[in-house]
Amino acid sequence: MNGVIEALHIYDDNRNPILSHTYTGRPLSASHLLALYLEHPFPRPSLIYLPNANPPTLVFSLTHSNLLFLATSSTEIEPLLVLEFLHRIVDAFEDFVGAPLLAVKLENNYDVIAQLLTEMCDAGTVSTTEPNALREVVEMEGWVDKLLGSINLPGKSPLNTTPAAPSLIAANTPAVPWRRANVRHTSNELYADVVETLSVTLAPSGRPLAAFANGTIAFTSKVSGVPDVLVTLGSPSGKHNIGGIMELPVFHPCVRLARWNERPGELSFIPPDGRFILAGYEVDLLPFTSGKSGSVSSNNLKLPVNLEMKTGLGPVGSEFEVRLQTNKIFGTPNSSSAVSQLSRAGVPGRLSSPHPGSPSSPLLDDLIVTIPLPEDVRNLSDIRPSRGDASFNRAEGRLEWHIPAKEISGPTSHFGLRCTVVGSLADDEEEEFDPTGFGFGTDYAYHEPYQSTAVKSGKEKAGADDEQDPKKTAQNKILMPSSAAVSFSVKGWLASGLKIESIVLDSRKSRGLSEGVKPYKGVKYLTVSKGGVEIRC
Amino acid sequence: MESISRISGLLEAARELTLDAAQATRGVRTTSKTLDRNQMRKLLDSRNDREVLEGLRRVIAMMYRNHKTLPFFSSVVKNVASPNFEIKKLVYIYLIHHAEQEPDLALLSINTIQKSLSDTNPQVRALALKTMSGIRVPVISQIVSLAIKKGVADMSPLVRKAAALAIPKCYRLDPSQSPQLLEYLATLLGDKQYYVAGAAVSAFVEVCPDRIDMIHKHYRGLIKKVVDMDEWSQLATLKLMTYYARRCFPRRTQPTAETDAPQAQTQTQTTMDDFYGEASASKPTTQSTSLDPDLTLLLNGIKPLLQSRNSGVVVAVTRCYMDVGTPEYVKLAIGPLVALLRGAQDIQQIALYNIVSVCLVRPLDFVKYASHFLVRATDTAPIWELKLEVLALIFPHSPVHVKSLILKELEHFSQGSNKALVREAVRAIGRCAQADAATAPRCLKLLLSQITSLDGTLAAESLTVIRHLIQQDAEAHAGTVVRLAKNLDSATDPQARATIIWLVGEFSGLNGEDNIAPDVFRILLKDFASESEAAKRQILLLGAKVYLHHLNRKSEGEKNRAGEEDPTVEEEKHPIERLWDYVLLLVRYDVSFDLRDRARMYRAVLSVPQLATLMLLAPKPAPQAPSPSESRKGLLLGSSTLVLAGGGGLHGLRGYETLPDWVEPGKEPDPRLREPERDAATARYNSDRPAAAAADKLDEVVRSAPAGKSNGLGEGLRTKTLDDWLAEEEEEEESEEEESSEEEESEEEEEDDDSSDEDDEEEDDSDDDGETDRLVKS
Repeated sequence: MNGVIEALHIYDDNRNPILSHTYTGRPLSASHLLALYLEHPFPRPSLIYLPNANPPTLVFSLTHSNLLFLATSSTEIEPLLVLEFLHRIVDAFEDFVGAPLLAVKLENNYDVIAQLLTEMCDAGTVSTTEPNALREVVEMEGWVDKLLGSINLPGKSPLNTTPAAPSLIAANTPAVPWRRANVRHTSNELYADVVETLSVTLAPSGRPLAAFANGTIAFTSKVSGVPDVLVTLGSPSGKHNIGGIMELPVFHPCVRLARWNERPGELSFIPPDGRFILAGYEVDLLPFTSGKSGSVSSNNLKLPVNLEMKTGLGPVGSEFEVRLQTNKIFGTPNSSSAVSQLSRAGVPGRLSSPHPGSPSSPLLDDLIVTIPLPEDVRNLSDIRPSRGDASFNRAEGRLEWHIPAKEISGPTSHFGLRCTVVGSLADDEEEEFDPTGFGFGTDYAYHEPYQSTAVKSGKEKAGADDEQDPKKTAQNKILMPSSAAVSFSVKGWLASGLKIESIVLDSRKSRGLSEGVKPYKGVKYLTVSKGGVEIRC
Repeated sequence: MESISRISGLLEAARELTLDAAQATRGVRTTSKTLDRNQMRKLLDSRNDREVLEGLRRVIAMMYRNHKTLPFFSSVVKNVASPNFEIKKLVYIYLIHHAEQEPDLALLSINTIQKSLSDTNPQVRALALKTMSGIRVPVISQIVSLAIKKGVADMSPLVRKAAALAIPKCYRLDPSQSPQLLEYLATLLGDKQYYVAGAAVSAFVEVCPDRIDMIHKHYRGLIKKVVDMDEWSQLATLKLMTYYARRCFPRRTQPTAETDAPQAQTQTQTTMDDFYGEASASKPTTQSTSLDPDLTLLLNGIKPLLQSRNSGVVVAVTRCYMDVGTPEYVKLAIGPLVALLRGAQDIQQIALYNIVSVCLVRPLDFVKYASHFLVRATDTAPIWELKLEVLALIFPHSPVHVKSLILKELEHFSQGSNKALVREAVRAIGRCAQADAATAPRCLKLLLSQITSLDGTLAAESLTVIRHLIQQDAEAHAGTVVRLAKNLDSATDPQARATIIWLVGEFSGLNGEDNIAPDVFRILLKDFASESEAAKRQILLLGAKVYLHHLNRKSEGEKNRAGEEDPTVEEEKHPIERLWDYVLLLVRYDVSFDLRDRARMYRAVLSVPQLATLMLLAPKPAPQAPSPSESRKGLLLGSSTLVLAGGGGLHGLRGYETLPDWVEPGKEPDPRLREPERDAATARYNSDRPAAAAADKLDEVVRSAPAGKSNGLGEGLRTKTLDDWLAEEEEEEESEEEESSEEEESEEEEEDDDSSDEDDEEEDDSDDDGETDRLVKS
């Protein structure tokens, strides 16, 4: 009834097996499994069934920083259990051997990896996955240990035989399974990082169809003893309706759910030591579209960039144009009071107020426009960005336009990109007599009265100006991109306008923290769009 | 919930750079130089802990690199007696991996591991138990069983958890141990510590999921604990409880709507509407009365789990609500289910399969989340496929503005460049139109505008869907067919042309002679030779139908004017007959034998018009285009089988079981079995245990130990090498060391533990000393 994970394999970026750990049963060997896995055509789903292997095997896959993780089972098992487990393994590995997970790091720490893998999954049944609990049972030989160890006298070795004895006693009665006992820090710190990932879909007219910000609160706690922390969230429209703004929240097990349900916006918890994800939520940036009027809300959505796209331009309708406008400031008027309070207590450099990237002056960066092009597009004969550089990747079938940060901070806030597509070979002769000078006239597009569908205006224009073959235009229509997506990151700004009002360490409920210790507190906001703002045309 | 590694990735922009840098340095830095076998042995045999540790690290690294490490087996395993915890752990890991290849040598280590079972450090005890049960040598199953017995009575919850996890391992090793194992399990299920109980449930689900009689008295306790358990135990508990509820709480079928929950899967959409429209007012009251209070306890108890960060748990709760709960509870789960779409792409995809599966049953609840299912350009094929399916499913239940949003969405993607996506989008439009008669004209209009498209796929797919729509309501669509026929001039896709021609043929009987079919037939014949084969086949069929209609009209006409003879008509052949002859002639010299065969058949059939009428003009049933995931209906939510739609093999996935049917009323176990008095009894038992029961158990262990051990040892004795004898002597020495260190530890522990514990510890120690003495001498 309950399936077990039988083996875990890790392959490096060249798909050489670097690790295979068998938990139970007689699973396929690493190389054999890889061959069968690679047989599957490319966009490989995260769950593949190999009915013809012996034993018939379920393969779960996860790719993380070029490493391929495969877990197998030969019996029915809940796929989400295995995938979550793989994600936890990645987290634990990063926690123990350092953040960018590299094959060489794993190879150098096989002993730690082995301990982690045996702890996290006991003969196929997932057991201990809390990073703090793992810290207690898996020792990572740090450089300090090595240094001390090398000067250790042989006679002293009995000392080593009782490693971390005090922590073991406490392990008898773990009050909170996610927190390690006897935490000691010389500098006590509490940081909150709020990251929101945008997911916005715009209609060709620019009207938003759906706009969500998927938020995650990452929390870093480095406080001695057993602290009890209260994080209070606030929103621009007041605290009372925070529960209505933060939809569908999920929480780390440490969060007291009853408190949240009673008073939404208050997260009370005993944090694990170190870094962890405190909560996840989503914010509907178009809260009123569920009603009837969509047009009203279009003004409500404030994005750091506006995107406009026109296709089917030019004499044969073979050109398209993207226009981008960056909006300077996103208005966080009332945030200053609450946050500056925190930043005063914060570590200098992390939150000293006026530097770019802090809430008072949000910083837009990493601006990339990605335009997926149909397979039939052979090439882009002409790519003309007004700023930045754009390149067409034929293999992946997409055009990427990078706009460097210094251009964004420059005087212009309008950017344009115009491209000409080349389709099948037959079109080549036509391309010859394409009056190139004509295509440059981007101006006329600017003065054009605004119309709801860009495609139509382009076509009419092309048809009216010079008696071009409408059939040609129709053919080129197939070559036109159907969407464009913008990626960017904004430091110091949240799309939802949420903010962390306060981080309070409850000294009455906390234990093991000496009197008068005031931990450093800091808050960081980040909004990211990874191709998340998408306009259709 | 996002994993910490992904969020860190977002926060640290510089990470990619370091990644590249590190990639560049790769190859420069390799692991410290490999040593030859003798050097390795030397390290492993060293008396210095650091050197041994270093040697073990190398062995583990070699193990993972698939190098041969078996030659070091004896050298490594010798270290099992090392008092150093670090060394112990690595040796244990090695042992678990290789015991199977060297069972005899592995058995030699059992003694020492057994000794560790009585270590004062609970972590050492837990690890020893875990390792012992992990050694896959069937001979030791009895020893393992005894070790578990001892572990079950341990004071430290850590060890009890290890004991719980060891039970399935022992069961796998030797199923004949199951009576004892079940006994231990019964104790562990009632453990007060939630993580022990959680592990016990995992073991239970694996070893004996059918023995629900063991659950009764722990039922309420487990439900109370489930919120505190770790996510993996929660998954097992949810699975168990769903099963348990089906077997123990008969569904009371009352005249109101709650009959739907068990049969919800077969319910049609119309009754669903009724159910939400009218019955909902009366339902909550009747529903709540009909639920067993214990079932309500379960359903409410797992509510907080909907906010779990683990997607598996959310789906498991949804499954529980779907299979044993009521629609109200399912409604609660919809939001959290949709929230799973925020996760990583792999999780998103699996979650979507489950969402679609829920959506098939309860589309209405998903309507307010419609905008979550808009397809994004970055979505992979399985994801957009499932999203489009959800959109089509909720379409008939949506308010007007959502409907138009969905249609716009589908329209947009039907004009895209991705052929597969276009096909899916057009099909989804078709499903929307079928499900909702009111918007069918709008959908049809949308589709009709597509057929002029130059994109063959789009045109063909649209036409197939249009054909389905027309067939469903043939009478109303005569005009549409005329419009379609006009498009024959421009449509180029063979499949599209064939579909149009077939439709014209279907409508050739309308309005007698005043019909376009003969004309279309005539025009098509002009360019017959250059048509594709699919189109030719349909042209032939069209001709046959037109001719048949003509014959029927003629015979009717003859009947009408039976009296008056009018021989002049006979003289000249009717144009339709001439066309028919012409097409037969053309086909006769066609290259396709299939086409020639068909022509011959039609000619033969048409010589008997009555027979031909039955064959060619039979009314066609309207085709149904079910949602692609209909095939997944009835599969257990959250299972791999659901994702794979039954699995590739003939028998599906091994180990997949559907839930049992609801127990019949009257046959369920007595609800009094779950009464709290029994709980109280077990609780008392638990609280007493550290003082009295633990000691008893230990005595039992000691009493029964020699029998079990001599078995294991007997096996080992035969193949003892000199090395091992030496090693054992060392062990003895080291065990003395250990004792001294143990004393230190126990002193430290005194600070925390109360005096009764201390006594216990001492007893424990003395027992063990006796035990080891005996073992060494035997």
